[in-house]
Amino acid sequence: MATIPVRPPLARSSDRVIAGVCSGLAVHLGWPVKNVRVGMALATLAGGAGLVFYAWLWIMVPTADEAARRNARRPASPIAPAVSQPSGPGAFAPGIASPAVQAQGAAAADMTAAPLPGPPSAAGASPLRGASGSSTADAGQPEATPWFRFRSMKYGKEILLGCGLLLVAGIMIAQMLGVDVPLGTLIPAAAVLGGASIAWMQLDETRRAGLVDKTKADQAGGWARLAAGLALVVAGVLVMVSGSGSWEQTWLALLSSVAVLGGVVLVLLPWALKFWRDLESERAGRIREMERAEIAAHLHDSVLQTLALIQRRAGNEHDVVRLARAQERELRGWLFQDPGREAGQLSDRIKAAAAEVEDLLGNAVEVVSVGDAAMTEAHEAMVQASREAMFNASRHGGGTVSVYLEASEAQAEIFIKDRGPGFELSDVPEDRLGVRESIIGRMKRHGGTAAILNTGTGTEVRLRLQSAGTDAAEGKP
Amino acid sequence: MNLTQGTADPRPANPVRVVIVDDHAIFRSGLKADLGPSIHVVGEAATVEQAVAVIAEQRPDVVLLDVHLPGGLGGGGREVIAGSAALLGSTRFLALSVSDAAEDVVAVIRAGARGYVTKTISGAEITDAVFRVAGGDAVFSPRLAGFVLDAFGTAPADIADDELDKLSARELEVMRLIARGYSYKEVAKELFISIKTVETHVSAVLRKLQLSSRHELTKWAAERRLL
Repeated sequence: MATIPVRPPLARSSDRVIAGVCSGLAVHLGWPVKNVRVGMALATLAGGAGLVFYAWLWIMVPTADEAARRNARRPASPIAPAVSQPSGPGAFAPGIASPAVQAQGAAAADMTAAPLPGPPSAAGASPLRGASGSSTADAGQPEATPWFRFRSMKYGKEILLGCGLLLVAGIMIAQMLGVDVPLGTLIPAAAVLGGASIAWMQLDETRRAGLVDKTKADQAGGWARLAAGLALVVAGVLVMVSGSGSWEQTWLALLSSVAVLGGVVLVLLPWALKFWRDLESERAGRIREMERAEIAAHLHDSVLQTLALIQRRAGNEHDVVRLARAQERELRGWLFQDPGREAGQLSDRIKAAAAEVEDLLGNAVEVVSVGDAAMTEAHEAMVQASREAMFNASRHGGGTVSVYLEASEAQAEIFIKDRGPGFELSDVPEDRLGVRESIIGRMKRHGGTAAILNTGTGTEVRLRLQSAGTDAAEGKP
Repeated sequence: MNLTQGTADPRPANPVRVVIVDDHAIFRSGLKADLGPSIHVVGEAATVEQAVAVIAEQRPDVVLLDVHLPGGLGGGGREVIAGSAALLGSTRFLALSVSDAAEDVVAVIRAGARGYVTKTISGAEITDAVFRVAGGDAVFSPRLAGFVLDAFGTAPADIADDELDKLSARELEVMRLIARGYSYKEVAKELFISIKTVETHVSAVLRKLQLSSRHELTKWAAERRLL
């Protein structure tokens, strides 16, 4: 699975002679454009096959612009354009990844939502390390495994179809060369086999697509059903006609009807495609409508309720502030959270701890985070220590508490700063366990360091943790 | 950068003329009440069109600009700055937002705003920020500093400070301290440099944020059709 090369998506390039098919194909296959063009020209000489192939790709392959638009199309929200974009200080890398990678991420997220083995958490954390300037390729990598499985299954259908067509072509060539092929038995057998496999594919497709995306299910199932029906009809007609006349006549009739059908398809295809696209856009509109309804329901459940509470408690300033902060947090989490990123990372835990302290004491705790790391036991201790520090800062400092987290896989640093009167560690009695045990002791036990400094305008607690292997150095000045 | 005003105390002698652009009337009146006595609010606007008209008419020193605004082509605060491009030398823009989304903030900064603060900022802080912006300095909230660190990475530039796509070691230090909640004064004290030097570093970071072609930043810009 891992050996499948990552190809750029097939799209008609803007570097075009006629429709950009050849250069797009060349980019996709990684071949020189000239070779592809010459090959196409040669194939055109071979009975016009190249021409047909070119026309096929012209119709079926989107231009690069269209492809980008299609990949970039994400659910929009009426509240803010930013809502549909992954964001938040801790989630830069997914937000800046290319649309293709975003689509991968979305697919992977969907896959992992189903009971499938997700990417290992250590690898899954790397896309969040935008701070170290990780490239888009890095960001997409952890999601690659489930996505490839999804893709190889999807292309299985095309590969099967290609094999079938090759087989048919082989038989036709054999017949032209004069070999006596027992078509009378071959064709019904092939029809039965084909019908069975199509039916099986349809079943499989709907089941799998149902897991991935509800709307794709009817679309894929519809196509498969159509194909199966067609195959059965053709087989039936074939058996009927072959019963009344000779094979030559049957062939002639079949060929002419296929030719007529082909002509009709050629004429109607543009309309059919147009119709199809209209349907697609209509469906997108419906999805937007559903999303709007969901947002309205959410606002009603949370914000309106909180506003009602605030009105009833308007006299108590403390309660009002606390309610407002809690509601703001909840709404922000709902609006700006990137569904593609993994939950439960260090930054999430720190934010949760900050929210808890805010709820308990009513003072604002502002968290700014850069980068992220997957949780380990030592990180857990760090979260506990910083929670204690935030609690102290909020209780003794009295004002807004600033928390800054800078994390990577190698090291995590947390700074908790208040603007209170400040205190000296030496002034704290020995029997007070809060600072000495829950912050300093806890960090040391897990190989980290903690320093508490009086900055003159308040107190700052600095926690630092390096990943296993590297010695924990003294905290930065 | 234009550092004509006294930098230790950024308050200029004349009152600062300010236009407030925000679509919420309640927020506008609250903000007006919060601003100190030496700030004169000479105009208000609720939409992109009103804002461009008021700014052109009043030519204020500072425009307090909400990032999300109705009207115009849907570009919000960014569109107001673009519409007032002719005044960018004399009128400075300070972006105000409730949005946590990086692309919103970075979009207005790249359009030409001199700073970004969140709407939960206190009256004293916003007053200070207005004076600072009027004096030609940049105003970075902890969150904006966090965005910058995220976008530029936390590794310092190897060679020259001049490179647009990376921050110098000193600029990184300054950004880190601001992200940690330090005021400019505290940053200066911590790093043993003058406030003026801190302001120079912050202005340099702002310039990089506006001009850098780092793909994270151009990606945001492209998404908001800034290019």
